[in-house]
Amino acid sequence: MTSALSNFARRLRVRIESTMRDASAPAVTVAGTPASLFPDDEFDAWALALFAEQFACNPSYHRICVAAGKTPGTVEHWTQIPTVPTTAFKEFDLTCLPADKREVVFHSSGTTRQSPSRHFHHAESLAVYETSLWTEFTRRVLPGESEEVADFQLALLTPPPAQAPHSSLVHMCETVRRRMGAPETSYLGCVHPEGGWTLNYEQTCSRLAAACMAAQPVLLLGTGFSLVHLLDHLASRGQRLSLPPGSRVMETGGYKGRSRTLTQAELHALITARLGVPPAQIVCEYGMSELSSQAYAAETQTGPREFLFAPWARARIISPETGQEVRLGETGLIQVFDLANVFSVMAIQTEDLGVRQAAGFVLAGRAAQAEPRGCSLLPTPP
Amino acid sequence: MTLPAYFLADLPPDAELTAQLIVEASQTLKRNRARYLADRSTAQLVALLDRVGRDWLDPGYPLRQLALAEGPNALGFSRETLATGLDDFFRQLTAENLHRLLRQDLGAAEALDHPVVLDSTGEPRRRTLAVGPEFLVHIAAGNLPNPTLTSMVLGLLTRAAQFVKCATGTALLPQLFAHSLYAADAKLGACLEVAVWPGGCARLETPLFAAADCLTATGSDATLAALRAQLSPATRFLGYGHRVSFACVAGDALTGGRARQLARAAAVDVAAWDQLGCLSPQVIYVTQGNGLAADQFAELLAEELAAREQTHPRGRLPTDLAATLASRRAFYAVRAAHSGDTRVWQSPESTAWTVVYEADPQFQSSCGYRWVYVKPAPDLTAVLHGADAVRGQISTVGLAAPEEQAAAWMTTLARWGVSRVCPLGRMQQPPLTWRHDGRPALGELITWTDWED
Repeated sequence: MTSALSNFARRLRVRIESTMRDASAPAVTVAGTPASLFPDDEFDAWALALFAEQFACNPSYHRICVAAGKTPGTVEHWTQIPTVPTTAFKEFDLTCLPADKREVVFHSSGTTRQSPSRHFHHAESLAVYETSLWTEFTRRVLPGESEEVADFQLALLTPPPAQAPHSSLVHMCETVRRRMGAPETSYLGCVHPEGGWTLNYEQTCSRLAAACMAAQPVLLLGTGFSLVHLLDHLASRGQRLSLPPGSRVMETGGYKGRSRTLTQAELHALITARLGVPPAQIVCEYGMSELSSQAYAAETQTGPREFLFAPWARARIISPETGQEVRLGETGLIQVFDLANVFSVMAIQTEDLGVRQAAGFVLAGRAAQAEPRGCSLLPTPP
Repeated sequence: MTLPAYFLADLPPDAELTAQLIVEASQTLKRNRARYLADRSTAQLVALLDRVGRDWLDPGYPLRQLALAEGPNALGFSRETLATGLDDFFRQLTAENLHRLLRQDLGAAEALDHPVVLDSTGEPRRRTLAVGPEFLVHIAAGNLPNPTLTSMVLGLLTRAAQFVKCATGTALLPQLFAHSLYAADAKLGACLEVAVWPGGCARLETPLFAAADCLTATGSDATLAALRAQLSPATRFLGYGHRVSFACVAGDALTGGRARQLARAAAVDVAAWDQLGCLSPQVIYVTQGNGLAADQFAELLAEELAAREQTHPRGRLPTDLAATLASRRAFYAVRAAHSGDTRVWQSPESTAWTVVYEADPQFQSSCGYRWVYVKPAPDLTAVLHGADAVRGQISTVGLAAPEEQAAAWMTTLARWGVSRVCPLGRMQQPPLTWRHDGRPALGELITWTDWED
């Protein structure tokens, strides 16, 4: 690993933080952070520089690029940078960090018993991760409220970091908690003996009820399934809460078979019905252990929620047939080019499907598990 | 061409099926069977099926034209793949093959017509009559028509009234085949029903199953178990679970021009029905020998799949399925970049076909749609070791081996649990006499009445 990556990381953190102070930039709207905060030309220059460093310092990625015939000498634009599928993180060490520098590892929350993805971090890479996360989180989840974050009662429906040290989502929650100065008791989830996540229901309910009594707005962060667990629990007790005005919910991730599965609209309707938080105050987050930046989607009046990444990350929707970017309104695989993935791989190909929009994308499920239409056995993907 | 509304499947998609409709259809079918079908002779039925088979092979036959016109949209196969699949099936449907089947499964061609002395038993004073079910229900799973069409043919031979329940989006070919039988003999067509609904609809299935004395089904183990649980003990249940197939090529066979021929044959098997059937090879094992090595054969196979794509393109895929193929490819590209133990050949600018060579002999399920693994193995023992995870679920092994080796391999494969061994290139063309999963498909429909004199 060269000091060039460290320099890159340092410069990127400064640049990301500067987007918060850019008075001349167009305002952040509900729809998202304008990409002009990080203009295309500038993004391209950063991306090509990072590609060159990762090509040099990430041995696994180096092989992938050489095999694809794409090297810093031939790649002219960030859209040509070779992507790595998220599944490759299960089998290969896609990192620029030498073994003795890998202090933290984030695992994907597997839906199967297969080995999880591994995304290695150390102090410097976590610093970039946290800067990226917090900057965009305050913009998208707490727009206009960054000065008064301390006024929120933070409710985190995940286990605390000690119980889930390899969860990037928990690390995200922990970053938010520390930056907000909220107590460790903000965690309302725990890992149950079989390894899955569950909620301390009594504690959650009393915490929310207390916030209602104190008229203190709640910032509730959780996965789809933990929210369903909470909402079902409230329903079983015939309980409806009316969280104080200004309360917000950020929901992320899927269900992974851990609860019944709801559509986004059903989940949001239940959140409104049981917690009293209107759809406009519910934000959807899209992230994964293989990335260091997140996309968010707020309610729109015109159609389905559109995800937009932080401006130092760009999503492309590509046709699975041709590998080329699809046209507006078409569906394809989501690729993410995340500058904040400094010490691993910037260019990631997910297994998620998105519908390309003018600025962002609408989530459209995942690659099918290819159930044969005939009568073959189901495949076992790698 | 619009089809006359003879069958429930002909109704507009928004027409609602009711339990009452199912009850009435079942009663009508049984009544028509008693009136028009029960007393037909085997010779008459064989002649009719032979004629229908020839009709379907005729390029000008309107129902074939309709199948080829609507099939690509309805079923997702290209016109050429569909035409080849239909030809392969209907070429089998001849009087000669039907007689072979009757003799194989029933011992005598006329065993369904009158009591016969079965030569094989050596009991001159015992005669026996084969009796088919009165009301036979087929639960058809996939949109590969062959299993369903075969079931309909067998049911007709046994003089059963038949109700074919198709999964949504898969009914076209059973429906058109039913129309061809109706066109050939309207009274026989009146003993047949084809309907479509999503599986597990108790409102319709409860009355249907109550009327059936025999039910055939293809599907997952869970589907079959759920179906069996709904049937009365008096109803015969013939379930055909999911199966996979692979090919086994002896390295000694891959010499000279023969290697190219075998690659072409393998490409035919992979391309047939876009590799979506139980009989499609998912893995091709190449054993060590004095011919090409496995990775060289994989390269030849890739060339032949590319050629096959030109004449018999793969069907268009929905985005989520194409995404699965693209994701898998991306993963294998990473593996290939790290080690020569994995190599990938793939169609450019599309997901039409993919060949993955892997040194690891472990059986790997393909996701279908013309994605095939080629794996080396020292010998047949190593092949079977690699395929151990799917032992008991194998249908067909496509074989290419020198003659002196083939017989020994066949015996080993049979004792290991393989129920069909055929030459490479014919995996998706089982004969009418094929014993489905090693069981006599016609024989299992029959009840015998012995007459001891």
